[in-house]
Amino acid sequence: MAKRYDAVIIGGGHNGLVSAAYLAKAGWSTLVLERRHVLGGAAVTEEVFPGFRFSVYSYVVSLLRPEIIRELNLPRYGLEILPLDGTFTPLDEDYLWRVNDHGRTMREIRRWSATDAEAYEEYGQLMVEMARFIKPILSILPPDPGRVDPREWLPLVGLAKAFRDLPEKQQAVFVQLMTMSAADFLEQWFETDPLKATMSASGIIGTFQGVRSPGTAYVLLHHYMGEIDGAFRAWGIPKGGTGGISNAIADAARSLGVEIRTEAPVTRVRMDGDRANGVVLDGGEEIDAGVVLSSLDVKQTFLRLVDPSVLPDAFRTEVERYKFRGSSGKVNLALDGLPDFSCLPGVGEHLRGAVSFSPSLEYMERAYDDAKYGHFSARPYIDMIIPTLVDPSMAPPGKHIISCFVQYAPYNLADGLGTWDDQKDAFGEAVLSTIEERVPKIRDLILHMQVQTPLDIERTVGLSEGNIFQGELSLEQLFFNRPVPGWARYKTPVRGLYMNGSATHPGGGIMGANGRLAALEVLRDTKGRAA
Amino acid sequence: MSAVPGSAAAYDAVVIGAGHNGLITAGYLAKSGLRTLVLERSEVPGGATKTIELAPGVRAPALAHTVGRLRRSVLRDLDLTRHGLHLIRPEVRAFAPHPDGRSVTFHADLARTSESLRTWSAADAEAYAGFDARIRAIASFLAYIAVSTPADVKAPSVQDAVMGMRLGRAFQGFGSRARREALRSLPMAVADLVGEAFESDAIRGALATRGVQYAALGPWSAGSAAVFLFDSAGNSGGAAGTTAYARGGPGALTDALVAAVRGFGGDVRTGAEVVAVTERAGKATGVALASGEEISARTVVSGTDPKRTLTRFVDPVVLGPHMMWRAGNIRTAGVVSKVNLALSGLPRFAASGGDASSLAGRIVIAQGIDALERAFDASKYGRISDEPYLEATIPTICDPSLAPEGTHVMSVVVQWTPYHLREGDWDAEREGLGDLVLKTLEQYAPGLSDLVTTRQVLTPLDLERDHGLTEGGALHGEPGLENFFAWRPLMGHARYRMPLRGLYLCGSGAHPGGGVTGGPGANAAREILLDLKRSR
Repeated sequence: MAKRYDAVIIGGGHNGLVSAAYLAKAGWSTLVLERRHVLGGAAVTEEVFPGFRFSVYSYVVSLLRPEIIRELNLPRYGLEILPLDGTFTPLDEDYLWRVNDHGRTMREIRRWSATDAEAYEEYGQLMVEMARFIKPILSILPPDPGRVDPREWLPLVGLAKAFRDLPEKQQAVFVQLMTMSAADFLEQWFETDPLKATMSASGIIGTFQGVRSPGTAYVLLHHYMGEIDGAFRAWGIPKGGTGGISNAIADAARSLGVEIRTEAPVTRVRMDGDRANGVVLDGGEEIDAGVVLSSLDVKQTFLRLVDPSVLPDAFRTEVERYKFRGSSGKVNLALDGLPDFSCLPGVGEHLRGAVSFSPSLEYMERAYDDAKYGHFSARPYIDMIIPTLVDPSMAPPGKHIISCFVQYAPYNLADGLGTWDDQKDAFGEAVLSTIEERVPKIRDLILHMQVQTPLDIERTVGLSEGNIFQGELSLEQLFFNRPVPGWARYKTPVRGLYMNGSATHPGGGIMGANGRLAALEVLRDTKGRAA
Repeated sequence: MSAVPGSAAAYDAVVIGAGHNGLITAGYLAKSGLRTLVLERSEVPGGATKTIELAPGVRAPALAHTVGRLRRSVLRDLDLTRHGLHLIRPEVRAFAPHPDGRSVTFHADLARTSESLRTWSAADAEAYAGFDARIRAIASFLAYIAVSTPADVKAPSVQDAVMGMRLGRAFQGFGSRARREALRSLPMAVADLVGEAFESDAIRGALATRGVQYAALGPWSAGSAAVFLFDSAGNSGGAAGTTAYARGGPGALTDALVAAVRGFGGDVRTGAEVVAVTERAGKATGVALASGEEISARTVVSGTDPKRTLTRFVDPVVLGPHMMWRAGNIRTAGVVSKVNLALSGLPRFAASGGDASSLAGRIVIAQGIDALERAFDASKYGRISDEPYLEATIPTICDPSLAPEGTHVMSVVVQWTPYHLREGDWDAEREGLGDLVLKTLEQYAPGLSDLVTTRQVLTPLDLERDHGLTEGGALHGEPGLENFFAWRPLMGHARYRMPLRGLYLCGSGAHPGGGVTGGPGANAAREILLDLKRSR
């Protein structure tokens, strides 16, 4: 007889593990099934080359919900987040270098523009106020605009009241954040091109949008929402790589009684009539479950694991038109030493933060233009970090690793370019030559190089079209539209089947909010009683 | 309502600018018995809805060439038909020719449109009726929004509550599927909106143009779907959009409006340039003209764009630095130029097979989504694409009175010609743009250049200089989500009341935005009358 659990969770990514921990905490017998040999999904650390460990995909953390850290007691299970100090934007002959030390950053910006320095201060203040206002959205369940259930809308009424009470100036800024492009929004304050370009970069990460695309301003806020030990606006890298987070959550979950199996790919969700009652593994093993939670994206869940005939037609249509549009790749380098930037030679503190290849708004926008027509950017935006400067355990002594997040790399290539496997080398070369313009000797330092195209990300991690957020974060796919209009409350049209990954509200990134909210919703739905 | 006895002011209301919205506001105010004066800087009223004499005996639309979106209630309330306005609606709404001789043609008749799409894709031909119904459903709801005054977010009033309930009821009556659909569609890129319904790039491109018209948006820009949907709100256009001409050119609409204002006892003065809104104790008291003359009024209504209104006409000390900053940041940079041609004969479009009726509506030169997007891309960097998107009309087909017999007028809106050029200046680029437009049209209508007897090119700089449109922005501020409803033109000032008591905005910069709809003008008049009634 098949083994039975109260809940089976498909996918051992960070959200899957968070859900499992919360369900186990409520006394449920819970099983997590991970296809790969490592846990974490896109938040994994792997020893790609002997002695060199990489956060292969997701590489920084900023929005991991503090309530999760607290409620699952993650520091006890090894979670440690090391601060990344500042952002360094190398240019041809100069650079822009912002650090966590406010005074130094102000002096640096003043070097570029006195009015920008003044505006920077005001802007930062405003963004912190905005972030405070908007943060509750990350923790509320979106209502269904198709229904008028006052209970669903109540949390929004609170938010509407809070909005009404904001000063007009902040109301205006809030609306702009939700609707404007990052570039247009920033141009209201700043004139320094590399400053605008580097700030705007956070608006486009992981999306198929450019810095001038309306709707990208919103993500600027994420920078100010990130909390690390309660301090606003710090990005960090987890000790041991992003897999460190996944392992900490997994250990916390295990201590609560969660069972976790790796190399256990699920091939379908088993149905009893119109109700999900378990899963079937590759190899035929069947596992009974009271409820099934899928932390895979909508395409994987509904077009692969679920028999489409059980889905209502309208729902299926929505799933089919859900947009993924992966737009980024990753290049990981193992180095013999530290890179030397021609604009600021030597090994300095500027290497300890993020290095942003974003010299101008036009550079950023042109990188996007390439992608719109199916080409990877000839000169991409690169967000580079050198984790070994913060966490030397990631490489052998004296050696270093570099993580390069690269955008744009459109999943769908233009006709005539073949597949991503054909373009992989050229893509890696574009990244290297972009870096070489700023670090002339980079090639001499490289011991190993790993290139991850959107296709690799899809194949390895299981993210459709390589979209790192399990679906485009465009306005029509957010909040009550995420993942499917009318189904934003973690439930699905299949009874007993829930969604809990980045495909759900509040979207992607190592937040864990999705996994937690989904688990709480499952518990509420079943009144806490395991089925 | 009648003029307030004992009021010291010379007028109850002075309206700055005799564009169609200014005249509509004035018409409503005068109709209510207010002593109303409209002041127009140029010698001819009309703003962007003017008919000009392109050559002796040849009349052409100065800027706007169609007036199909004009709100029906305006037509009725101001009795414009009696004042001489006659609308002509061609059966072909839009015709998008391709160099290979095929075309996408949208007819007033659904079945005929569907038939025309069949050349491109049978599936698309089948899908069209459903798409049209979907657009109409969403647009019918947006029409409610267009006539509503955005609620006062800070202190909602009883009227706001009633408006909210009305909108809520309209939304309710929609059905849950359509409701979700509407909320999902508005923030989308128009390329996605049409891409989800149709497979043919030619059809997608022809439709998507209405989502980017006059805007610094490309078809892949989020929010361009909202522009598309609003274009269909309050008219019978549906997916194809509406097309209607005023007989005698768009100036005929202006003439009818002027006649209506005067008929209700209002005044229209041309050659009277306002340079300032006068103010005392935080309240507008009238206007000062370039001539030095001052005219007192209880209310001042601006039909000019909000950036100009606030940053040029109002004392910055009164407005305060923060409001000046916000108003100065309203994005107005225009992307549209205009080319007017007098033609010695009807151009022959290869794709029309010599059939004049297919040229009677809007002629849309847009090959597809990527082609549109590339044309837009150039403008982001201060350049003009070699293959611009054009919307042309030949009004003489429906209205031969505009030109001597046998000759024609062609009016071409050229899109994505940025006001801020990276290299050169517009005075130097003007004729080059005219050549580019002709070269583009030649690909579809060989021999067209030979028919040209007169050519007029209006650049974004001309739109600014001649029409007072700041940075040539034809819509008085970008359309789309960032400048919409309760935050058009500025959050907290979307209710036609500007941040100076007694000063109102009635132009395209106000909700529901640009285009010849009369919506802002009519809505503003309603709010002004409400305030005047309250203050008595």
